[in-house]
Amino acid sequence: MANNSVEAANTTTQSVNTNTHTESKTMKKKKRSSQWTWYIFLIPSFLGILLFMVYPIAESLRLSFFKSNGTIETFTGLANFRTVLTSGPFWNSVWNTFYIGIFQILITIPLGFIFATLINSVSKGKNFFKVLYFLPNVTSIVAAAMIFQFVLHPEMGILNYILGSLGLPTPGWFSDPATSKWGVILLAVWHWIGFVIIICLANLQAISSEMYEAAKIDGASGFQQWLFITIPNMTGTFAFLLITGWIGALQRFNEVYVVGGPNGSPARSIQTMGAFIYERGFTGFEFGIASAATYIMFIIILIFTFINLKVSKMKI
Amino acid sequence: MNNTMSMKKMERITSIIKFLILLIFGVVLMAPFIWMVSVGFDRTANISMPFPPRLIPEEPSKFNYGIVFENGRLIKSYINSTIVTVSSVVLGVSASLLAGYAFSKGKFKGKKILFIVVLCTLMIPMEPRLIPLYTLFNKMNLLNTYYPLVLPSIISGMLIFLCKQFFDQLPDTLREAAQIDGAGEFKIFFSVYLPLAGPIAATMVILAFIWSWNDFMWPLVVLNDLELQTVPLYLASFSLENGSSLGGLTMALATVSILPIVILYLFLQRYIIQSIALSGVKGE
Repeated sequence: MANNSVEAANTTTQSVNTNTHTESKTMKKKKRSSQWTWYIFLIPSFLGILLFMVYPIAESLRLSFFKSNGTIETFTGLANFRTVLTSGPFWNSVWNTFYIGIFQILITIPLGFIFATLINSVSKGKNFFKVLYFLPNVTSIVAAAMIFQFVLHPEMGILNYILGSLGLPTPGWFSDPATSKWGVILLAVWHWIGFVIIICLANLQAISSEMYEAAKIDGASGFQQWLFITIPNMTGTFAFLLITGWIGALQRFNEVYVVGGPNGSPARSIQTMGAFIYERGFTGFEFGIASAATYIMFIIILIFTFINLKVSKMKI
Repeated sequence: MNNTMSMKKMERITSIIKFLILLIFGVVLMAPFIWMVSVGFDRTANISMPFPPRLIPEEPSKFNYGIVFENGRLIKSYINSTIVTVSSVVLGVSASLLAGYAFSKGKFKGKKILFIVVLCTLMIPMEPRLIPLYTLFNKMNLLNTYYPLVLPSIISGMLIFLCKQFFDQLPDTLREAAQIDGAGEFKIFFSVYLPLAGPIAATMVILAFIWSWNDFMWPLVVLNDLELQTVPLYLASFSLENGSSLGGLTMALATVSILPIVILYLFLQRYIIQSIALSGVKGE
């Protein structure tokens, strides 16, 4: 490096008219050495990628063919995959993950979009609402899960109090396997909606106002403008939310762990794929089986993301 | 004339209705927080939650908050979280600034493929890496230290991506001018481009801070030592121990754990919201 700058300094102190030949030579040399400098810029990140991404992904694949508890390993071929794929609790965790994910996304994206358009259309308090609605997303999901255990308490929670005073049925939420998933869905919607609103708002503001003005001249009502200009212009945003929403939903762990522990009680009703892997890996120390399960989960995520990409591309 | 008057009136009414809907739904979203603070001030809530729910406790008391502070574990976990988060942010943001800059302005072999590798890391979830990383840090005898929480933060595909996008918008002419003056690549980066990277660095710090602060699964795996627990770990262990009993104490604990983050958010809201929006808009 130091060499380089000395060289460069030399070339500049030399008068330009002496010989252009040596100058072009040093330039060439400089170019080659500066190629290497760029790799130095990348060293920290790629050291991280090798050590914390490539190595564990490869090692995990290897482990999935072994019976292992961390110290003793025996090769078992595809036995772990067979165990996982024929395991009732695993498919139960897949079902739970998808069930919670589907309803979280189905509720939050349209609702968040509607609130984003409402916020975008009010003349006063735009920023106030933005800040307010995003607040749940700022709090950690762990703290949120802690609060929601009381909010959704079957006898003493505020939600059932309100439902009861309206004469509506009061479910058991987290204490009843039949409704516990809906407890998680409510929590997930509450926590995620701020994010959806912020992303929608940012993209709503990017739609050119000319389109709306043209529609106004044509006599389109506010609702018609929303239907025929706003929504078609937001498909890219919806696709993004769909993809990030699913990736997040398929990895759900924190809140179900806080509410139901590693086995997703009551009765495994909220055990997600992540929780299944944690239970097998770190309470049972069945590293081989857990690794096979992570690979199956990884493949599910990849396939599902791919499908989401295809579906959303068709819409655009 | 009359028509436009009534049109204006209609517009006013709809905008008032919109405002009211937003206000009501805002209150609904805030209700868990409001209730949390209120129950935290209710000493009797530890035996049985106040029912019907009330906004102002019958006998407001600071008892629960007193216990949270006396116990000291929350404060300890705050210190732990701060150490871990600050180190992770410094490490992740520095490495990503270097890499993002190289991917934007650099000319070297394999640039495209290496950048695709970076983008691929965005697709890799934590779960498949959990067990090998655990055994790796176990072999290095680093379980129950801060290292396993901090070191993996060095790589963040998202931060590199955002950083590259930012440097792409800065003109190359700045580089060329500095090159003529004889500056090397590192000098150009540190004295020409880095000083201009303030906005993106701030965004990166905010995003990395949020990720690291809220990280849960990985710390849960590598930390058993109660002395080293981060805030989410402490909250989770408290919640799993007590379930839905000790309501007053739980709510006081939740309030104290959330409050500093909420205050920070209110001060930096403009930047935080912008950063989130940027990560979303660019992510498309």
